[in-house]
Amino acid sequence: MNKKRVWAAIGVLAAGGALSLLVGAALARDPYTREELAEQEKALLASVDHGRDLWHGSNPSISTNGLACGNCHPDAAASNPHTFPKYQADVGKVIALRDMINWCITTPQAGKPLDADGDDMIAMEAYAFYLYRGKQIMPGLATEQTSPVVVKSGVGYPKKGSGVGYDK
Amino acid sequence: MIDLKNASRRDFLSISGRAGLATLVASAVGINVGMVEVLTAGTSKKITPFRFAILTDAHLFSIDDHKFDIFLAQAVEQVNAMSPAPDFVVYGGDIAQNGRDDQLVKGRKILSKLKMPIHFIPGEHDWYLDMGAAWKGHFGSPTWSMNHKGVHMIGMNSILVRDFWTAAGMSAKQRMDTMEMLESPIAGPWGVREEQLEWLKKDVKALGSETPVVVFTHSPLWDYYPRWNFQTEDAPEVRSILSKFERVMSFHGHVHQTVYNKIGNMSSVGTLSTSWPWPYPDVQLAYPEMRMTRSDPAMIQDGEGPQHIDLEADFQGTMHYDPFGNMLQPSIKDGFKI
Ligand code: HEC
Ligand SMILES: [Fe+2]
Ligand SMILES: [Fe+2]
Repeated sequence: MNKKRVWAAIGVLAAGGALSLLVGAALARDPYTREELAEQEKALLASVDHGRDLWHGSNPSISTNGLACGNCHPDAAASNPHTFPKYQADVGKVIALRDMINWCITTPQAGKPLDADGDDMIAMEAYAFYLYRGKQIMPGLATEQTSPVVVKSGVGYPKKGSGVGYDK
Repeated sequence: MIDLKNASRRDFLSISGRAGLATLVASAVGINVGMVEVLTAGTSKKITPFRFAILTDAHLFSIDDHKFDIFLAQAVEQVNAMSPAPDFVVYGGDIAQNGRDDQLVKGRKILSKLKMPIHFIPGEHDWYLDMGAAWKGHFGSPTWSMNHKGVHMIGMNSILVRDFWTAAGMSAKQRMDTMEMLESPIAGPWGVREEQLEWLKKDVKALGSETPVVVFTHSPLWDYYPRWNFQTEDAPEVRSILSKFERVMSFHGHVHQTVYNKIGNMSSVGTLSTSWPWPYPDVQLAYPEMRMTRSDPAMIQDGEGPQHIDLEADFQGTMHYDPFGNMLQPSIKDGFKI
């Protein structure tokens, strides 16, 4: 490409950009503002926080024997959310994380399973995934016990008002 | 027991140096695991060989016919059926889940079926509802020692924390709830604290360095994973008081998993619980071959069980995990030297 052609190409690109900007004003929205992003993160962390409470027994219907997920999975350890979906031998098929959560509700906790699409289930998943953030997604890793992020203090995620710990 | 592959010259020296007459005998166990038995010969103080058992972490709930009641009862049956029979049993803490008297009473009743004497130390789940009042009423002092067939046995309360509840205005129940959560960000580190350290100094003062010593605490006497209180804050002081002995064995509950470590003259062994297994924290173990494999959540008792220890005349110990499931590595299935 010679110099002239390059300039011509840039000219076309610039014109196209201006065009899409004009169209965009009608059809698409502006990028999220910092405030909007902060709101979204707040909503996510509220779900994570609700999930942590659920993992520690805040919903009595998911356990009839007093056990909570946190008893066996401190800091969500060994829940391995990044390995789902995968084959679960006891069920005999490939299942999603929410199925495994319900399996642990009905088996070790002898509780009532959660609605797979309900806010509680999403919060349960949000907590597990948040504590495994940054871990490589590896569906099907069945023989290894993996660890969540190392939590030095606090609960393992930014939690307003607690005053203790914030592990990003 | 050390891992041949990872054994440094320093490890070797620290073991042989301490024991004086130690010899190392290699024995291949498993495929990738090299194990070494440390044989101490010629210690002036011979003991009469015997066996004892450890039961721990039953975590009994205030629910009738709970599965953990049954698991503990099964472990009691298993210990009663051992041949030769253990001389005594040590209970390593966490009888109760929520520190309630009815839970401690239930545990005492199930454990009363044991044919041999039993000695108790407390866990955090037994203690923080009433600061050990009910526990002490049932099981006596948490700090004790006894001499058995030439071995000095010590029990201590390692779950003492600094007061986090008074300033926060917490109720007894809130204090207990806080301590129940393994990864609680609120309660600080555990320890045996000043009074027991003083007691320990006096307790071992008159003993010669050749005396074999076995010590029981709920939490490990080494810095394993502070976040889950897999540690005892003043363990260095404990180890320093016990450093004059040729060899010390430490057994601890709380971690609900197989784990081994050796620091100076002290070998340290984690015991299985009878309630549920815990995952391994994300730390590098000095003896990784001691890890159990992943427990199968579909096998409701996988990763649980009692254990027994055979002590030989020269204070060699063989630790046997007696699990209900099958998650042990081949290298520890038939017992391992400690
Ligand atoms: C009595 C102990 C116990 C309780 C209570 C329990 N689990 Fe589990 N769960 C296990 C064990 C054991 C495993 C196998 C994990 C391992 O060691 O890798 C497991 C596995 C899992 C897995 C799958 C990990 C994998 O890689 O396949 C998930 C997800 C999980 N649990 C979530 C939960 C949730 C959510 C709860 C609460 C509703 C819960 N568990 C309660 C013992 C328990
Ligand atoms: Fe325990
Ligand atoms: Fe404990």
